[in-house]
Amino acid sequence: MINFILRSSIEQRWLVLAITLALSLLGVWNYFQLPIDAVPDITNVQVQVNTEAPGYSPLEAEQRITFPVETGLAGLPNLAYTRSLSRYGLSQVTVVFDEGTDIYFARNLISERLAVLSSQLPDGINPEMGPISTGLGEIFMYTISAEDNALQPDGSPYDSTALREIQDWIIRPQLMLVDGINEINSTGGYEKQFHVTPDPTELLRWGISMQDVVDALRNNNSNRGAGYIEANGQQLLIRSTGQLSSFEDIENVPLAIRGDVPIRIADVAEVSIGSQLRTGAATRDGVETVLGTAFMLMGANSRTVARDVALKLQEVNASLPKGVTAEPAYDRTVLVDKTIKTVQENLLGGALLVISVLFLMLGNFRAALITMIVIPISMLGTFTGMVTFGISANLMSLGALDFGIIVDGAVIIVENSVRRLSEAQKQNNDLLSREQRLRVVFDATNEVIRPSLFGVGIITFVYLPIFALTGIEGKMFHPMAITVILALTTAIILCFTLVPAALAIFMTGKISERENILIRGLKKVYRPLLLFSLKLRWLVIGVATAIVGLCIALALTLGTEFIPQLDEGDIAMHALRIPGTGLNQAVEMQRAIEIRISQFGEVDRVFSKIGTPEIATDPMPPGVADTFIMLKPNSQWPKPSKTKAEFIAELEEAMSEIPGNNYEFTQPIEMRFNELISGVRADLGIKVFGDDLDQLLRLAEQVREIIEPVQGAADVQVEQVSGLPILTIVPKRDVLARYGVNISDLQELIGTAMGGQPAGLIFEGDRRFELIVRLPEEMRTDLYRLGRLPVPTASFTDGPGYVPLSEVATIELTTVPNQVNRENGKRRIVVTSNIRDRDLGSFVEEARQRIDAQLQLPPGYWIEYGGTYQQLESARERLSLVVPVTLAIIFGILLMAFSSFKDALIIFTGVPLALTGGVVALWLRDMPLSISAGVGFIALSGVAVLNGLIMLSFISSLRDRRGNLVDSIIEGAMTRLRPVLMTALVASLGFIPMALNTSIGAEVQRPLATVVIGGIISSTLLTLLVLPAFYRIIHWRGAKAA
Amino acid sequence: MNFLNNTFKNSLCIGVVLFIASQTFAQEHDDEEDNKTGPHGGRLLEADGFVVELTVFEQLVEPQFRAWAFLDEIEIAPSDWQIGVELTRLGGNTDNPSFVNNGEFFVSSPIAEPHSFDVRVTANYAGSSYHWDYESPEGRVDLSPQQVARLGIVTQVADAQSLLQQELLYGKITPDPKLVSHITARYPGLIRSVSPELGDYVNQGDLVATVEANDSLQTYEIRAPISGTVIDSHANPGEFASDQPLLTIANYSNVWADLNVFPSEAQRIRAGQEVSLRMGELSTSSTIRYLNPGEGLSPHVIARVPLANPDLIWTPGLLVEADVTVAKFDVDLAVENTALQDFLGRPVVFIQVGNSFEARPLQLGRSDRRFTEVLSGLNRGDIYVVANSYLLKADLEKSGATHAH
Repeated sequence: MINFILRSSIEQRWLVLAITLALSLLGVWNYFQLPIDAVPDITNVQVQVNTEAPGYSPLEAEQRITFPVETGLAGLPNLAYTRSLSRYGLSQVTVVFDEGTDIYFARNLISERLAVLSSQLPDGINPEMGPISTGLGEIFMYTISAEDNALQPDGSPYDSTALREIQDWIIRPQLMLVDGINEINSTGGYEKQFHVTPDPTELLRWGISMQDVVDALRNNNSNRGAGYIEANGQQLLIRSTGQLSSFEDIENVPLAIRGDVPIRIADVAEVSIGSQLRTGAATRDGVETVLGTAFMLMGANSRTVARDVALKLQEVNASLPKGVTAEPAYDRTVLVDKTIKTVQENLLGGALLVISVLFLMLGNFRAALITMIVIPISMLGTFTGMVTFGISANLMSLGALDFGIIVDGAVIIVENSVRRLSEAQKQNNDLLSREQRLRVVFDATNEVIRPSLFGVGIITFVYLPIFALTGIEGKMFHPMAITVILALTTAIILCFTLVPAALAIFMTGKISERENILIRGLKKVYRPLLLFSLKLRWLVIGVATAIVGLCIALALTLGTEFIPQLDEGDIAMHALRIPGTGLNQAVEMQRAIEIRISQFGEVDRVFSKIGTPEIATDPMPPGVADTFIMLKPNSQWPKPSKTKAEFIAELEEAMSEIPGNNYEFTQPIEMRFNELISGVRADLGIKVFGDDLDQLLRLAEQVREIIEPVQGAADVQVEQVSGLPILTIVPKRDVLARYGVNISDLQELIGTAMGGQPAGLIFEGDRRFELIVRLPEEMRTDLYRLGRLPVPTASFTDGPGYVPLSEVATIELTTVPNQVNRENGKRRIVVTSNIRDRDLGSFVEEARQRIDAQLQLPPGYWIEYGGTYQQLESARERLSLVVPVTLAIIFGILLMAFSSFKDALIIFTGVPLALTGGVVALWLRDMPLSISAGVGFIALSGVAVLNGLIMLSFISSLRDRRGNLVDSIIEGAMTRLRPVLMTALVASLGFIPMALNTSIGAEVQRPLATVVIGGIISSTLLTLLVLPAFYRIIHWRGAKAA
Repeated sequence: MNFLNNTFKNSLCIGVVLFIASQTFAQEHDDEEDNKTGPHGGRLLEADGFVVELTVFEQLVEPQFRAWAFLDEIEIAPSDWQIGVELTRLGGNTDNPSFVNNGEFFVSSPIAEPHSFDVRVTANYAGSSYHWDYESPEGRVDLSPQQVARLGIVTQVADAQSLLQQELLYGKITPDPKLVSHITARYPGLIRSVSPELGDYVNQGDLVATVEANDSLQTYEIRAPISGTVIDSHANPGEFASDQPLLTIANYSNVWADLNVFPSEAQRIRAGQEVSLRMGELSTSSTIRYLNPGEGLSPHVIARVPLANPDLIWTPGLLVEADVTVAKFDVDLAVENTALQDFLGRPVVFIQVGNSFEARPLQLGRSDRRFTEVLSGLNRGDIYVVANSYLLKADLEKSGATHAH
């Protein structure tokens, strides 16, 4: 098979070249299709169903909305689980589907169910699905501000209501048009509303109720079309206008006639521009502002979309009123560009180093060029594969590519061909004829194709265990493994197609294959060392074993880190305040924070989202803020040598001086991922399910008490769900009955008076604003006045016609749950615990036993165990299966290659030897063991095996021909010194830029590169010295027997 | 064997690397500063092997100190040693709770809230005396003067206040029934003349009409019984006057405000209470003259307030708001309502001593719309926070602030 391909490649060499060119062009085209992002997307397949429920308390929202929605969505195909939260005015159900479910399919299913559900929900309540976006979706944010002296057309300065109007009606519609944008969300400012605020005394005086006001407005605010008539052949449309459009119109709406006098709105109420009861606010550099967030459509190219939005925003600025500007606050392009630049630098730098090594060691320009050409072509092939598999180009997917490893196979083939060609020329004492040349190329390639194929194949194989990772780890590292495998596969294919073809075409003329001074010098050094090692072979083996042992011990002392932190360059800080903190209070506290933060010279700008944005993509209570701290480039810092970690420490210190806030530091994308994935992030989560919230809380507290003394338990916490202060108005049924007032009338009145009741829309051209009836602000906020609110009575027509609210209801200040969490359709409270200094399995087992023994669960309550421990356990189980299987496969390949158990074993010893260098390199650079480093070790094992293969296959074939063991070893080792050194050098040099780079994004690649470089150095040294010695020991008996 | 070993090691090595890496525990070794607790869960104070355990015990009893002593981990009977505790609170007040031996351990006299103090413990055992000092703050926040200024925290000195409790009532202006006169003809007859026009003002005794009696055919005069405005007229010369009122004269220089008092307020509303009346921009004041049962079946009563109305601005039918002063008294100590916060389920104010702010649980008495009487928990002259006290509460409770999605 291989022979055939090889032969046809050489014979049809021009065709091969043409096909390669065509495929490369395909790769170029695909490169432009490739989504580019900073980091891999780790969001699960989820759909958020948000339902706005103005005025609903958490309990009501759960009872009336969340429950029916959740139940209605249960049993969807591919549904993994649902979770929900119910807060003041909001119900959010998150439906998570199995990995790989098509998002549009999922959304279709949900919208079908929602349509059926609408009849079960209260009037005016409409569940909506969140944007089709992922954790990477928030690609662009901007803030809107006005200059101090800028004035609105009516002469007043721009306030946050005016700015919000600009956002809603000028900026948002334009940005929504940008290709790849799914949603523009607004935070902050007040939506403009027309407010009619009746004075209760005036209403009483005329005997008009709040509801009368609402009804009057509703009945006097519409246009009506009335068909058409034909008059003298002309068609005339008929329409009657009656829409309210100005304050005067509203004021003149008649309410009632009292003693021949019409009572108009103006007689009983004020009409003004008011502000909505908002749920979120935004600030920038200590000033309230309006903030827009652009959501990218799932799967779009974040770099281009963010860039397009930024350009569009510039255009939009031209259409804004004078003095008002919309400035970018966060632009994903910056991060993506930085990361891609890092990757490019690394790859380019690596490629250059690889190429120079090739020139230097091959000493033949054309040969080096042929080897080198493998790099771009396999990259283009990789791009095609990535587009096919839907993998975006990012730090992780491109992060593990080493051109050195990619060209390894080609290096071996080219090196051998060049050597053989020059030998043949020497023999021939002339240039070779074409047939001769083709034959030599075929022979030379054929001689080494198997070891190099096996070698590269093995490198590819060792990436397989990565696919055993699941969950977030899987999502981060699968693209990396796929990309590397793609690149290596392309390279393998090129090895027996393009490379021999190109050799056949281009290696004409005199082949100057001179071993340059470097190689000769190295050989001079190597020979005595080799002899020495063969002589003291037992000592060499002993020392090697000792080193391996030491390094395993060393590896155990290294710190560990599971997922590497991708430095996004900016900081996201949660500022948390106690439940019940009001939005305006939170804005004030946030302003203090921002003013302090902007005093840092390192900070370029700081902005915050407080509470819940208009579309509840991130429902935070009003007391919580996401603070985005955008840093200047390091070089512009007051002290450029300061690290980001040091800066964060300083920031934390400064923040701790501002009272009343708790902080959590993270990064913008990371924060978004956490918000969306949101599962239990502690090692163990004990979920208590049941009906009654108080009972649940009690049980959760009991669980906490049971868990806390278990050895290894740390940070045991009960999820905080209570503590929302609430003013409850409890109607006195008997008294109400006495006055003939229905509870619903009373509630309607309270709702209208305090929360406001929409009474229609006011149109201004395209813009539409709500018309709201509610009490004047100074009366709404005065609790005593609330108690005096006159409630119209039905009976006692001869009485005063009203009764004060406090007469018919009690007003209580109580605390209620600030949110109700549900999972899979049941209320739940989670008790979380981390586990320290103890293995997970036994801890969980003990915890379970204790809970089973000590906790009395009432009927209808049950407990489930979850948390990251499950992932870890399953990852470990899989790995403990997959790693040995992979090793077995590699061994199998080696067996196939050599048909010798012994030889396969010898090559295998290269692996631990290689790992030693990696461990030492990590230790020297003070880096923890991480998955990144693990991937490095994986790559390393492959390279080590490759090294051994090259060496051993040659020695074996020599031995087969000559029979003398020691001579074969020495000659084989000497001949193979150059390819071994070359493959090792290119592989490690290819990673050098990665190991040294410190720019954004480099932290993921650094451990990997460090491991590979360190490991290859040790593996090469040891392969060259230990392997021959080992070979000699193992084959001695066989040789003697022969 | 060696080879097998090596194979084993190889797989082990890759395995180990992956396994270790998969152990996600960011091994944050908490600097486990063991806040050493004793067998009874109390604080351990140690010197030369002599250990005193001190706890604040507050389950089912008034908060009290309990103390045990150990020598080299062997418990010492309370009869063999003595303990003394001095508590210095923020602001310098000191307490010396007394300890009694209950046979097993020492129990102190009740300790007043708040449990925030510097503690000095002295103990005598076997001729040696020991003492320890520690701080046990609770509900305390330290802020620099700059921070206080930046955060807009405003303080005030706690002092005596006059409290004014008011009720808001709605009512209607009605004419004084004594000052409305419906004039009728004494003898039926023909109206000869009517002098005032509708809206004219007449003085008492002014001639308003002449009527020729049917019986006597004498023309008699009708004079105004009161001074006032003619608000109604049904008489024109030549018409026949019988039972119907000819003219209505009303005098609005004095009117009544009829305030609706509903049952729950009725017990607080008394005759003689001061009332300030408002109608839009207008306002005036008066007192409640008497309480009257309401009309019809309605359960409310009417509080009647006479009003002088020289400028005739309080026209009958006008709806008014009335603030009735139901109580007015002086209290020894009161705090502004804006200063009160709910902390750990109790009302508190935050007092300032130097740069420290501390929550003081209060027992509250009566209150009006601005002040609340303090029965205990605060002293006259204490400086307390009136504005932005929420920040202090938020800071004390912030450890509980989490962000769960």
